[in-house]
Amino acid sequence: MTTSVVGKRIPKVDSMDKALGTAEYAGDIRMKGMLYGKIIRSLEYAHARVKSIDFKEAEKVPGVVKCLGPDDVTQNGYNTTIMKLLVPEAFNEVFGEISEMYVFNKHVKHQGDAVCGIIAENEEIAERAAEKVKIKYEPLPVYLTAEQSKQPDAVQFTPLKPGNLAGEFDPSFFPGKAYGWPDPETDKWGDDLEPECDVVVSDEFYLNKVKQCQMENNCAVALYDTRGRLNCWSSTQMPKPVQVLLADLFDLPLSRMRYITTIVGGAFGARLGMVCEPHACAMAMAVPGRPVKVEMTREEDWIASETRFPGDYKMKMGFKKDGTPVFVDAHFTGYKGGYYTHGNGPIFCAAAFVHGMYKWQTMRMKGDSYFTNQSPVGAFRGYGNPQTSFVQEQLIDVACEKLGLDSVEWRKKWHKTIGDETWLKGVTYASDDLNGCIDIAAEQFKWYQKKKKYAKQKGPKRRGIGMAVMNHTSGAWPMLLEHTVCTAKLNEDCTIELMQSVSDLGTGGHTAIVQMAADTLGWPLEDIHLKTGDSDVNGFDIGAHASRTVYCGGPATIEACESVKKQLLERASQLLEARVEDLEMDSKKIISVKGNPSKSIDARQIAKQGVYNFFDAASGKQIGIPGQIQGYSSFLANHCSPPMGATFSEVEVDVETGEVKLIELVNAHDIGKAIHPPSVEGQLEGGAQQGLGQVLTEDMLYDEEGHCLNSDFTDYKMLGPSDMPKAKIILVETAPDPIGPMGAKSCGESALMGPIGSVANAIADATGLRFVEAPITPERILRKIKENGITYE
Amino acid sequence: MDKQPITLTINGREYNILVAGHHTLLQVMRDQLDLTEVKYGCGRGECGACSVLVDDENEPSGRKVVDSCLILAATMDGRKITTSRGLGESGKPNVVQQAFVDESGIQCGFCTPGMVVKSTALLERNPKATEDEIRFGLEGNICRCTGYVKIVDSVKKAQKAINKKKK
Repeated sequence: MTTSVVGKRIPKVDSMDKALGTAEYAGDIRMKGMLYGKIIRSLEYAHARVKSIDFKEAEKVPGVVKCLGPDDVTQNGYNTTIMKLLVPEAFNEVFGEISEMYVFNKHVKHQGDAVCGIIAENEEIAERAAEKVKIKYEPLPVYLTAEQSKQPDAVQFTPLKPGNLAGEFDPSFFPGKAYGWPDPETDKWGDDLEPECDVVVSDEFYLNKVKQCQMENNCAVALYDTRGRLNCWSSTQMPKPVQVLLADLFDLPLSRMRYITTIVGGAFGARLGMVCEPHACAMAMAVPGRPVKVEMTREEDWIASETRFPGDYKMKMGFKKDGTPVFVDAHFTGYKGGYYTHGNGPIFCAAAFVHGMYKWQTMRMKGDSYFTNQSPVGAFRGYGNPQTSFVQEQLIDVACEKLGLDSVEWRKKWHKTIGDETWLKGVTYASDDLNGCIDIAAEQFKWYQKKKKYAKQKGPKRRGIGMAVMNHTSGAWPMLLEHTVCTAKLNEDCTIELMQSVSDLGTGGHTAIVQMAADTLGWPLEDIHLKTGDSDVNGFDIGAHASRTVYCGGPATIEACESVKKQLLERASQLLEARVEDLEMDSKKIISVKGNPSKSIDARQIAKQGVYNFFDAASGKQIGIPGQIQGYSSFLANHCSPPMGATFSEVEVDVETGEVKLIELVNAHDIGKAIHPPSVEGQLEGGAQQGLGQVLTEDMLYDEEGHCLNSDFTDYKMLGPSDMPKAKIILVETAPDPIGPMGAKSCGESALMGPIGSVANAIADATGLRFVEAPITPERILRKIKENGITYE
Repeated sequence: MDKQPITLTINGREYNILVAGHHTLLQVMRDQLDLTEVKYGCGRGECGACSVLVDDENEPSGRKVVDSCLILAATMDGRKITTSRGLGESGKPNVVQQAFVDESGIQCGFCTPGMVVKSTALLERNPKATEDEIRFGLEGNICRCTGYVKIVDSVKKAQKAINKKKK
């Protein structure tokens, strides 16, 4: 009788508003008396000290309300990231971040760093006034690589990080400053075991600086209201943590800091924390009673917000001649950018996803990062894992070739599975069907047929095929806090107001939550409304990161809705004088005694009488049972159910021009259970576009003075609709996860990895050459062909 | 700054307004007229988030797509303009908007109003567009969420619905 909506291809709850154009994003907010804030950034210098700021001429521009320098705003430091809220206080030193950023900075550490601000009646006045601000800088040497900034005489970015060594694996948690484990028999690890191996492969790679390029630029509106509350509207991924960070920054109790999330115009990690919220709030504090909007231009967004973690990544692997994996030894040195954002997170994760993939006898991975005068690095879908895909999956292919083994079969044999440790030591896989993914994807891709077909090619255009596998995570337990609160308020007409803080970045997470609520209650989808993004009503939730919305928001939703159902059944049990376990509720909300449908009561009546509770005038008895029903869950995850996946790619390389054409991509993903299949497919399809861009075209380039050379969509090439290959996404649901909600594992970040490793392998297959620098551009391909003196028949 | 009186007909409604000579059509629509469905994504004609339809007698359909961030509003006196909200409204989406919803061709939705405008024009110009022609036709409108897969599916679905209606 119950009509299930989980697993159905229903329209998303928020898509019609977006199709019509009525959906309101932060930049669309209009308020009475709203002022405009312009952040003045250092565009000329990537590294400098601010000597003086002269607002005299700017203040004369009619319509300018206030000019704010570094000393005119809060002197508290902050960090855009939320890491300190995600780990216990004692671990913050090791995993967390430092509060070394200021609203307006006197030490400029990258092009685009904020120096001062103008508040004006409109945007244009603010911009005109900004041009009249005179700032004197003392230029400092610009460091663009770890090698440059680690030099002993280099200018120090912060006294808290001597030697500009932003981070490394702390020996208190990581013996030998490495993640991994020594060989249990010999206690040797890493390349100490090299003499015992028959085949050893290694290489040094460079990973590019990639931008999230979410379509909506960052924008924040803030109002310090007459009741002394600071209100802030923006499109963060992490509403509750941002509320906490802003309250800390402005020394306010949470009761006086309200944070409201608008619709999120894409994020991909770019909004994992604060961006221009501190500036909008600082400006609003300076003009109490008037809202201030700060909207970043595309160029500002590009040079001032965080990017993927670039750097040098070395890896060495050793094998027995039968293919048994002995050791992996790696070292990732990241270029941190100007600030210590996201702590050591992405580097740790690069190592963690090495840990989670194959059954090495021993693993040792070191990681460190040095400050550079580039935009800060932070979260970007995959969080260290895409870097690992480029390096690890290429080396596995190199090794298999040396071993004379089929690389697909090798992966099937040696990847980790149920009972093995995941990305984190001590946490084991509870479900896995990676081999199912590999088999179905290989079959649909026609891997072995293509292998034969392309064995002997001639002419300038060479087809190549490659594959890669990946492991990821669903939420970040137990490394990071995984806590979501959900309240299900039963309205008096027996519909549900579901309250949860989490943002939907466009992923379909809100749709999936509503679907899970509907199925838990057995009620129609229309009877459930999800209220998110207002700190005044929503309980705690970490936010939308680490592919956790369904995995952690799902169980919270289910628990809260189960509680509503239980309370309804308990009241029905009293009213019907029957045991709770003998009752059932149908999709029309009729609660009846099993096997005796005539003994029933309408849940709507229970809900109504709970709110509108009166006494019967004649008997003086209370009608129904009083009290509005609410379900509640404060859910803490107890696993991270890592999903795995396999990707097969085909490319055509023109060896005369270096051009790479993407022909086909097949990606099979071990989703466990797809709550909203079109959204899962959408995540995997969209992730592929970003992964393909990372491996082929995308890279932020800087000149020697630290100016970004391609802070726009013309010079920073993302793949467009006609560049994309024929894509096939396969959702493998043969291994429902025993822990994930309704069997689900995550899919938010997973799709970016496979395309990177598989395309790199496909290019190697086509050209016979290995490319160790990402992205693999036509220039790099031609250069390598020339360097190696290769001529193609 | 000198302002100039112009008349714009947007989504069937006539606006008699004063515009600054240096203001783009995008600025005027968003900041003066509150037509916020037209999005600012780059301001330089790269992303297509601000796409609108403008009447053009040289087009068989009588209108063409432009990036409103690249046009000065003062040059648009007397023109008819259509945005996504002019193509459909609550309860009455146009066939393209409905297809984007049905096919989950929408994720964050920021590119969607522009994408809907572009797709509508594409199908008006070439109702028999092949998949390659659809993909090529969508170039200039950037989406970072979908990998374009479900956007292309949406356009194909709308195309089918339009052609079925014609028969």
